[in-house]
Amino acid sequence: MPKVVRKPAAARGPLLALPLVEKLLSAAMSRGAEFAEVYVERSTTTAVSLDEEKVRSAQVGAVTGVGVRAIRGAQVGYAYSDDLDEAALLRTAQTAALIAEGNRDPGPVALSRTPLPTYYQVKQPLAAIDVSRKIELVREADAAARAHDRRIKQVMAGYADQTREILVANTLGHLAEDRQDLCRLGVSCVAFGKGGERRTGFYGGGGRVDFRFFEDFSPAQVGREAARQAVATLGAVPAPAGPQTVVLAPGWSGILLHEAVGHGLEADFIRKGTSLFAGKLGEKVASELVTVIDDGTVAGGRGSLNVDDEGNPGERKVLIEKGVLKGYLYDHLNAKLTGQRSTGSGRRQSFRHAPMPRMTNTYLAPGDQTPEEILGGVRKGLYCRQFGGGQVDISNGNFVFEISEAYLIEQGEITRPVKGAMLIGVGPEALKNVSAVGSDASLDPGLGTCGKDGQSVPVGVGLPTVRIDDVTVGGTGA
Amino acid sequence: MEAQVASRKARKEQGTGLLDICEQLVALAKKAGASDSEAYAERTRESSVKVREGNVEELQQATSKGVGLRVFSAGRLGFAYGTDFSKDGLRNLAQSAVSLAKGAAKDEFNELPRGAQLGRGPEGAYDPAIEDIDPAWKLRAAHAAEQAAAKVDRRVRKFDGTGAGDYLARSAIASSRGASGESRASYAYLYCSPVAEADGQLQTASWSDTRRRLVELQAPEEIGRIAAQRAARMLGARKVKTQKAAILFEPQQAAGFLAGLSGAVNGDLVYKKSSFLAKLLGRRIASEQVTLVDDATLDGGLATRPFDGEGVVSQRTVVIERGVLKNFLYDTYTARKAGARSTGNAARGWSSLPHIGTSNFVMDRGTVSPGEIVRQTQRGLLVTAMLGSGANPVTGEYSRGANGLWIEDGQIAHAVQEVTVSGSLLDMLQAIDRVGDDLDLRSSTAAPTLRIAEAVISGS
Repeated sequence: MPKVVRKPAAARGPLLALPLVEKLLSAAMSRGAEFAEVYVERSTTTAVSLDEEKVRSAQVGAVTGVGVRAIRGAQVGYAYSDDLDEAALLRTAQTAALIAEGNRDPGPVALSRTPLPTYYQVKQPLAAIDVSRKIELVREADAAARAHDRRIKQVMAGYADQTREILVANTLGHLAEDRQDLCRLGVSCVAFGKGGERRTGFYGGGGRVDFRFFEDFSPAQVGREAARQAVATLGAVPAPAGPQTVVLAPGWSGILLHEAVGHGLEADFIRKGTSLFAGKLGEKVASELVTVIDDGTVAGGRGSLNVDDEGNPGERKVLIEKGVLKGYLYDHLNAKLTGQRSTGSGRRQSFRHAPMPRMTNTYLAPGDQTPEEILGGVRKGLYCRQFGGGQVDISNGNFVFEISEAYLIEQGEITRPVKGAMLIGVGPEALKNVSAVGSDASLDPGLGTCGKDGQSVPVGVGLPTVRIDDVTVGGTGA
Repeated sequence: MEAQVASRKARKEQGTGLLDICEQLVALAKKAGASDSEAYAERTRESSVKVREGNVEELQQATSKGVGLRVFSAGRLGFAYGTDFSKDGLRNLAQSAVSLAKGAAKDEFNELPRGAQLGRGPEGAYDPAIEDIDPAWKLRAAHAAEQAAAKVDRRVRKFDGTGAGDYLARSAIASSRGASGESRASYAYLYCSPVAEADGQLQTASWSDTRRRLVELQAPEEIGRIAAQRAARMLGARKVKTQKAAILFEPQQAAGFLAGLSGAVNGDLVYKKSSFLAKLLGRRIASEQVTLVDDATLDGGLATRPFDGEGVVSQRTVVIERGVLKNFLYDTYTARKAGARSTGNAARGWSSLPHIGTSNFVMDRGTVSPGEIVRQTQRGLLVTAMLGSGANPVTGEYSRGANGLWIEDGQIAHAVQEVTVSGSLLDMLQAIDRVGDDLDLRSSTAAPTLRIAEAVISGS
């Protein structure tokens, strides 16, 4: 029988008794797998929402479960259980083991705790903060949005947080435990203009931050910004359709990188050869002004990770340096199969999901131009100030992202608001057309959620002010 | 004989177990001080296989459960959910829901459905054959689909993945106002995602089928063949010039277009005057060829169910009839607020409060074949895949990235990518001038091929 030796335990008791974790690892290896992993998760979620100025509901949820993975070659067996008794968990591990066919004694494993850095300083778990304080945030944000302008008639304000504790142990001997708190305050509102016109605004923020974050990032400021967006775009004219020069405001515009290059650099697509970036390491894939970094170590970042969901520490990775492709995002499995090392990019939505390579916080390194210089050089174009969501097709590289607040640029000046704009392009082409990068690098305020294969994970994105030439703008105007 | 009886008994106990959990929670909530309460629980089993290039890549199997408790205490709403079905777990859940209600506002419209609203409509299909699918069958089906795909075109050599799976769900609801019921659903699915490659261009496509009865599932060979054809025909895709032209949506994309519309008929958005359709009830909003229903009683529908997420009996609601906007969709809370009746459209899972959602949201079929619609199109884009979320239910604007095939003089000319399709939803609905005869309920939101006479395509 395999024997698992373990190092001294930490002060806090583990989520699942370590002898049981060891038993599960053995059971997952019992049919000849080469690698097994046990992932234990306990998450507590709180959500508060205000609807028509009333607290519609306050809610809490508590979910605990265990996911077991067994790997042999490129083959993965995955099973999970929200039943934590030993018999149910052993059945789960045995189910995962079925990916291999045989009977083999994997030998002893020495579990040792992976020393972890700390990229999020959350003193008190968010789950432990009294719900009345969360309600207070939402009220304040709601009131500020309504007070901003009498044309704001509908406001939806919400706050949600999660305190997620994880334990990951594998047959390489790694044992990692982390507490990952995450919160987000958001306000959306509708401004009503003349002739039945309606415009929407959305703003918010948060991250892996202490609740005191909201002392600086004030709810009132969140509410006012959401209201400002809705009112500012009243009377907007249809966005001009076709290719043009666009200037992107800093921050959430980083979704451009996330879609245009980020997903295409995830190692599962690279290994399968289904991404247009496969086999292009060392090649020039973007303008020299473009340096793209995926960084799990940003302090308090929404996508930051002390440790990923496979027990590997979060890292800062340079993906593209001065336009040249430097690296991909690896999880354990795809790194192993291609002779690389994990970049701490193995993430999963919950214990119900097997991990895969994902982004953390993805941003563009700053350039040396001021935003004014960048704008001033544009005779005719589109200034994109706020953004919606985006999507990419990994194979042909087509990506879109929605512009929720945009203005015409005429002779270097921001003029009329336009509506219904969207950008579409092919990743590497769009990046080759980046013609100016600002010095005003900024991350989004902590809003993003990325979906892939049905799994959602929190991410950050960032961009300084950037000019891109010859981008196709989707719209209905002339 | 004895074993058979025992297994039937075990099966029955598993079912009543879920309703029993709900009833226990309702009793515990009452004890904790709730004036009214409702518990909704689910137990699911999922199992899937994935193959790639002839090898098994992933086997997954699990069972899962959870329960959510909604309580009203002096007109205030509280909600808690969890996966711990132990006595202590349930007691904690009841206490936290009741204590959370204290922080919420008093709301006169907070009420549970009762009396004649409760009940059962037709059961959705449950297929014991799906319960008993042999894992080896799933592997064979996935391999067969992949092999069929690889035979279609020598430019189709790579795969993102091909898989098969099944999903069984059992749910129960109980409330202090007399809701009490269980329902179950079975699903089997198959998919194939090949990648075609030529001249440095990669094009991916995917084809899948999901059914509640195993015998209705499309044959694996067909799934693979269609997926590969869809990937191969996209090779050589390029932009077209920015212009106005006809837009043809294939059934899946037509369904996506409808899904964008579903937000605008949500009774909550309508009540808040935040839907572009809010003031248009009874008005002609679409071409006469458009009839659209939300039908939770539809035979063979993926979303067919005897009652909704708060126990309200399922019904068929006409949303658009020959172009005229007839009804919006409501759950109990919003219906009371808006002075309407619940249409049985409370959607939910155990970890969420009931909210308004569609069931089977289906557009009636027309009489023209999709091939004929293409032949009747002088110049247009047949949209086969889309990017982005598209429709804005508040403003009524529509803009989405599109891939597809260019039509010139009734013939497919070449593949198209990197363009967007934009317009106002009302203009687009009114411009629908062809409705295909190819309606297929492979998704709960479904529509046949549609042609929109004219919209803006942004490209080069």
